[in-house]
Amino acid sequence: MNTGVYLHIPFCSARCTYCDFNTYVGLEALFAPYVRALLAEIAQYDGFPAQTLFFGGGTPSLLSPEQIGALIEAARSAFQLPPEAEITLECNPGTVNLGYLRALRACGVNRLSFGAQSAIPAELSLLGRDHNWHTVVQAVQNAREAGFEHVNLDLIFGLPHQSLCDWEHTLHAVLRLEPDHLSLYALTLEPGTPLHQQVRRGQLPSPDPDLTADMYEMAEALLGEAGFEHYEISNWCRPGKACQHNLIYWRNEPYVGLGAGAHGFDLRRRYWRVRHPAEYVARVERGQTTEAGDEPISEPLARGETMMLGLRLLQEGVSQDRFRARFGAPIEAFFAAELAEGTRRGLIEVTEQCVRLTPRGRFVSNQVMQWFIPDVAAVA
Amino acid sequence: MSSITVQPDSPSVRDALSRIRNFCIIAHVDHGKSTLADRLLELTGTVSKRDMQEQLLDSMELEREKGVTIKASAVRMIYQAKDGNQYELNLIDTPGHVDFAYEVSRALNACEGALLVVDASQGIEAQTLANLYLALEAGLHIIPVINKIDLPHARPDEVAQEIGNLLGDDPQHMLRISAKEGIGIEAVLERIIQEVPSPKGDSEAPLQALIFDSHYDSYKGVIAYVRIMNGVVGLKTKLRMAATGAITEPVEIGVFTPRMTPTGHLSAGEVGYIATGLKSVRECRVGDTMLDAARPAEPLKGYKPAKPMVFASIFPTHAEDYPLLRDALEKLQLNDASLTFEPENSSALGFGFRVGFLGLFHMEIVQERLEREYNLDVVITAPSVEYEAVLTNGEVIKVDRPADMPDPSRLREMREPWMKIEIFTPAEYIGPIMELVTKRRGISESMEYLDAHRVVLKYAMPLAELIVDFYDRLKSISKGYASLDYQFDSYRPGDLVKLDILINGDPLDSMAMITHRDEAQRRGAVLCKKIKDAIPRQLFEVPIQAAIGGKIIARETKPALRKDVLAKCYGGDVTRKRKLLEKQKEGKKRMKMFGTVEIPQEAFMAMLRLED
Repeated sequence: MNTGVYLHIPFCSARCTYCDFNTYVGLEALFAPYVRALLAEIAQYDGFPAQTLFFGGGTPSLLSPEQIGALIEAARSAFQLPPEAEITLECNPGTVNLGYLRALRACGVNRLSFGAQSAIPAELSLLGRDHNWHTVVQAVQNAREAGFEHVNLDLIFGLPHQSLCDWEHTLHAVLRLEPDHLSLYALTLEPGTPLHQQVRRGQLPSPDPDLTADMYEMAEALLGEAGFEHYEISNWCRPGKACQHNLIYWRNEPYVGLGAGAHGFDLRRRYWRVRHPAEYVARVERGQTTEAGDEPISEPLARGETMMLGLRLLQEGVSQDRFRARFGAPIEAFFAAELAEGTRRGLIEVTEQCVRLTPRGRFVSNQVMQWFIPDVAAVA
Repeated sequence: MSSITVQPDSPSVRDALSRIRNFCIIAHVDHGKSTLADRLLELTGTVSKRDMQEQLLDSMELEREKGVTIKASAVRMIYQAKDGNQYELNLIDTPGHVDFAYEVSRALNACEGALLVVDASQGIEAQTLANLYLALEAGLHIIPVINKIDLPHARPDEVAQEIGNLLGDDPQHMLRISAKEGIGIEAVLERIIQEVPSPKGDSEAPLQALIFDSHYDSYKGVIAYVRIMNGVVGLKTKLRMAATGAITEPVEIGVFTPRMTPTGHLSAGEVGYIATGLKSVRECRVGDTMLDAARPAEPLKGYKPAKPMVFASIFPTHAEDYPLLRDALEKLQLNDASLTFEPENSSALGFGFRVGFLGLFHMEIVQERLEREYNLDVVITAPSVEYEAVLTNGEVIKVDRPADMPDPSRLREMREPWMKIEIFTPAEYIGPIMELVTKRRGISESMEYLDAHRVVLKYAMPLAELIVDFYDRLKSISKGYASLDYQFDSYRPGDLVKLDILINGDPLDSMAMITHRDEAQRRGAVLCKKIKDAIPRQLFEVPIQAAIGGKIIARETKPALRKDVLAKCYGGDVTRKRKLLEKQKEGKKRMKMFGTVEIPQEAFMAMLRLED
């Protein structure tokens, strides 16, 4: 079982119109104290082994290479990260140049994830992204030149006004960049975001779920032809290039969450930290806990979450062996009815090795996953 | 409050009768009946101005809001007339809606006179005329009263002429008042004294008491509102209800002043109440006669039990409220003998009741009372009428719900209730109204001009067409000016079919309906569309069909669900994702399985609530 470390960098230079993540604009003055607080919190985990490190945001690439380098060094030491450990950093393509990327590579970052989102200018502006497609092309080239062998691009589809043709254009443009990994997310209109408001007020059309499903199928076909493995509902990779850190989530393995609003899991409980970076810094400085809440994870809940997360892995699925090793009995022993129903409806496939979604079940996965989640009343 | 009621057998009985006037007020909604009643109560000192709750006679909150009177009541007023004598005036209130025509006719029979109140700017309306005819039939003396003469649009002369044409009265002689401003009220009282005949009746004869209304009181049982036609009733009189056979002894006898004031007895010609101790209004029905069990007379003529005309199913929105709904209906029935109900079970909506109403208005009132007084959240299916099915063996059965419609192989003929309808309208709306009625299978019978501008249109029309928002449409196409009255005419044969709605091949019982064959296709298509919009997508394509027998006449297809995925999960926030799924799962628990189709209760409610 692996353990991951997630560092949350809750800063952005501008807010995207679709984003409801824990991130803040205009807090540049907090960068240095925030990094110091993170360093202090990392130090508390001295001797706690982990295998991956992930800088997520927000926009981690707003930090200087020195700050990132210091964090990596502290993490390597506290978590005893192996030398070849995957260290990912999420980047805004607009905020990085060749020199910056070289410096990142030099301080140990070995995987980059760019929020590319779209190759269509109108879509980028709808999403409130401050970069253009040329910036993305340049960023990927620079990443290669800086020596990165793991480059991921995030895309969003199912946007208001987006046509199948637009999507095809973006996919082709992205494939020309020969990324190692692609994350494709269907737009979810989150309450409170400007995009949600515009749709609710009728200023933008509501995305059509059927068209979005068509886009998903198109991506599956095009990326498949281009040699990508569809290894997770929203993720494709070249062989051997799956994201090790995210696999920890999907296998329902433990991870340490550090930074404002970060979530962590130690197999028995999930916890989350205070959301505002100023509050986070203040608590660390006062020597107080940064945890804002937690939730114990009972065995039935752990089994349900293992299914919910594992079903996201389209090839590996929920491993029979891992499940049995963890819960002392095969999946069938706990979920006979759910497996039968899912099989009957052609939504899941049960093999000797695993339980996984069928191609038909992939884009309606919520319908399947909820069967495995214990009833709220049963847990409470 | 003094009373001039005298002891029975006293020599002054005849004299006492000559000082009694029993009258009612006939008026269209909003023409000022309640306001006039309030002024009469004030002027006679029955109720002080300070105590005057606006529109006192309409005691139910709902009545006040709807501006109509649902239950009749009777108030005794003492009036010192200009002739120097003191009179007892009994104002008997009548329901203002056509659904309660029978109650109206009973209340009219308790009177000798009626005030015909007409709005000086509106003129006579259909309902007023219908009640006026009932009053004339009951032999009442009519006193026309033109109200609201203070309003800028008042045209009292024209309205007086219109009434004159109807009644043959001299328009110059008609009272012109403003109840709101208190103008001309005393003249109304004087006119009542002068023109309404005093009641006739023989206190020596065996008891005959007409029950013209009732309400249920949890302490005193059913309180019957009575007019003593002959004889006397005292606390010792053993009573028998002629039609129902119920026997009881009075718990209390008195008059409304307007509060219930015990007098211990009532004698011929008087109006008052008898608290019967009976446990249900069904034992003490409006129109029945109370007799002295020891000295029974012939019952009065004209009794007929109220018969429901419109049927609908009522289901609680929350299944656990079923017992509360039953209790509430039982309580309503204590006060409402015309309300019928029996348990019903729907595969889609669970347990509920099939309820019979006098009409749509009655149904609306029951629904509102359930919601307001009993705090129940209910859903009501589309109303239906009671059909007659003539079987091949000649037997005739009543069918008020689609599920009970016999198989076509056993069916010789279907018949449906037809109504006589009268529409009063300004002449400019004749065209659209004729179009509306014709579309509803109405058959024109006559058209008469009341004056240069106003017309009475008479039609025969199936009740089934009348109960589907006909009234609202009529109001809307006539800008609110047309008024409507209807009464049962006869059962007539019709090409009626059962329209089934199938979801994924399974019939959805709560949406089935009996309809005319010519209408089936249109209504089927509307229903399919409605259901398609209401149900959530399933993991497979779901056909929604309307069918007659085995034959599909309309179809919609709900496409399969294709997208239901979680968005990107940031920073390892698994809890949030799981909670979204938990919520989704909770929602599914409230769904009903329909074959393999999952339909949330709310979708059923939405289907039923949407208008055609």
